Amino acid sequence: MNEHIVKSFEDELNNLAAETARMGGLTEAQVADGLDAVLKRDSNLAEQVVARDEKLDVLEAEIERKSIRLIALRQPMANDLRRTVAAMKIASNLERCGDLAKNIAKRTLVLSEAEPIAPLTRSIERMGRLVQGRLKDVLDAYTAGDVERATLVWTRDDEVDEHYNSLFRELLTYMMADPRMITSCAHLLFVAKNLERIGDHATNIAEIIHYEITGEELASNTRPKTDALKS
Amino acid sequence: MIAGLGALGRLDAGSAFAGATVTVAAGALVGWWRARRAEGDGAGEAAPARAGHEQAPPYVSLIEALPDPLLVIAANEPDDLTGRRFILANPAARELLRIQAEVGLLVTAIRDPEVLEAVDEALFGALPAEALYEVGGAQERVLKAMALPLGSSADGARLALLVLRDETDARRAERTRADFLANASHELRTPLASLSGFIETLRGHARTDEAARDKFLAIMQAQAERMSRLIDDLLSLSRIELNEHIAPEGEVDFGLAIMDVVDSLGPLAREKGVRLDVDLPAPGVAVGPGDRDQIVQVIQNLVDNALKYSPPGGSIRISLQTDQTAEAATAARSAGSARLSLLTPDHGPDVFAVIRVADSGLGLAREHLPRLTERFYRVEGQKSGDRPGTGLGLAIVKHIVNRHRGGLAVESVEGEGATFSAYFPQSVAVPAAAKPAVSAVTKAS
Repeated sequence: MNEHIVKSFEDELNNLAAETARMGGLTEAQVADGLDAVLKRDSNLAEQVVARDEKLDVLEAEIERKSIRLIALRQPMANDLRRTVAAMKIASNLERCGDLAKNIAKRTLVLSEAEPIAPLTRSIERMGRLVQGRLKDVLDAYTAGDVERATLVWTRDDEVDEHYNSLFRELLTYMMADPRMITSCAHLLFVAKNLERIGDHATNIAEIIHYEITGEELASNTRPKTDALKS
Repeated sequence: MIAGLGALGRLDAGSAFAGATVTVAAGALVGWWRARRAEGDGAGEAAPARAGHEQAPPYVSLIEALPDPLLVIAANEPDDLTGRRFILANPAARELLRIQAEVGLLVTAIRDPEVLEAVDEALFGALPAEALYEVGGAQERVLKAMALPLGSSADGARLALLVLRDETDARRAERTRADFLANASHELRTPLASLSGFIETLRGHARTDEAARDKFLAIMQAQAERMSRLIDDLLSLSRIELNEHIAPEGEVDFGLAIMDVVDSLGPLAREKGVRLDVDLPAPGVAVGPGDRDQIVQVIQNLVDNALKYSPPGGSIRISLQTDQTAEAATAARSAGSARLSLLTPDHGPDVFAVIRVADSGLGLAREHLPRLTERFYRVEGQKSGDRPGTGLGLAIVKHIVNRHRGGLAVESVEGEGATFSAYFPQSVAVPAAAKPAVSAVTKAS
């Protein structure tokens, strides 16, 4: 990347990206802890996750404020403009991920009161680890400015969907077998749906990174897509 | 500071010694760097140890050679949270955190909030701090991050040392033991219950019935064999899991490994009336880093599965392709099939050797695919013949492939069969004739 004549402008841009990366790290931790809270039935951890969500909201607002300030004062063009807008958009996607993680954590409070369903929590864990990996990959791609790695996350979104579909069926069979499990299973279904949506946000971030670096949009029709409602 | 790091580290003498060395060397290095900056060299970005015009002191190479990842971090303002920079990263750190440069913003290397907090404490609280750093990805790793204050440099920047120590082994051993007990007790209960049921019957009213006794003893033997297979598989899975994050040493010729498996499973295939078609390149072409026994086990489990689900008169096609990209290895082979990547390597070489095992069985329904490598997962309603599996075969395959930094994909057309593709990093081939030379066919009859 070309160095700017005005050093502080370059600093500001780098700072914006670093701030976004830091917010990414916080989001990753929220998702990991939210999932852990469900898996280990740890309501203390769940409460911590809920309490920490505010930090993400503050960070998002701050990144937005800095971006707008930068656009207003520096009037960035081309590459610089894309970097600024990308930081702002990624921050808003991360904030949504944080909300979903908070929602996952909240369900721990109900789930930890019911009997544990070991095979189901295993499936949730597998799906959760997959989604965590996606989020990590896409944030790694962002900090490294690696289009290829971002594109890879984008093309692999269908794996998360497959896991979600499989889990959906599994939950249905449990609910049909024993109506007393319906409460827990319904909550687990929402946990799975939230994870799936975190995966979608990771894909969105991948698209933003692609646009930021190349200036071109990823064509949405080239991605393999499985329909959750079809099967 | 030395005592502090020694106490933080593991209790064996070697480790404490290494910890002390790191601190001393890093302290000396920073001193040297500080002196250099004071000379007026520090106008630009800090770039220690790399400058060609000055002879670096010997501890620089010492730091570079240390196996533990190590970073020196500098910061000016406590409030400027994103302004922390790393001004030195040894090769181990660059490898672990996948960073190219030796200097840069800290958040681009480590985002974990707990680690960042520990660093802050060392920088501005002047207190050693530690945090647990979990690196995700295919080979999950757990590291202990230790941040130690190093004072401040000549231009007023605060300095801290961040040492990462791999604790994956200890944690994994702990978890594997728990998993093993949970799995083993659950899965062994069924055959054990049936064994004790038959023993009770044999001691009771079947005591004098010779025909029943023979029948029961046969069932008991089958159950006992199943238990022993289960224990074998569980043990080998635990072993593989324990060193999953350690890359294998040695070289394997994938083609020769396939021939070994075909030779050993040939009789069984003939017995079932299943044909094994093999399509291999010349020996010495498909070579890659790997543990030979484990690679053989991967192929064996895949072919064994294919045999279980193949109808008599069917065929199994085993092929090996070299110089493939990860995309080519997982690409769909036929239209309208269900396809899923069960394991994707984090990063690595661009060239893979792909082993494909295709059967002509019933195939698998789409909804089963994501769960195939789950322990004890068996697809319901499918008869796996007279040798019921343990449900661990594909879990073992996945863990071995992961240890080799490879990938695994499945593709299935219901009613037509399933194809499993395992791909492994390939050593760069010697320019030789890469044409398929061996094309052995083991006939059924």
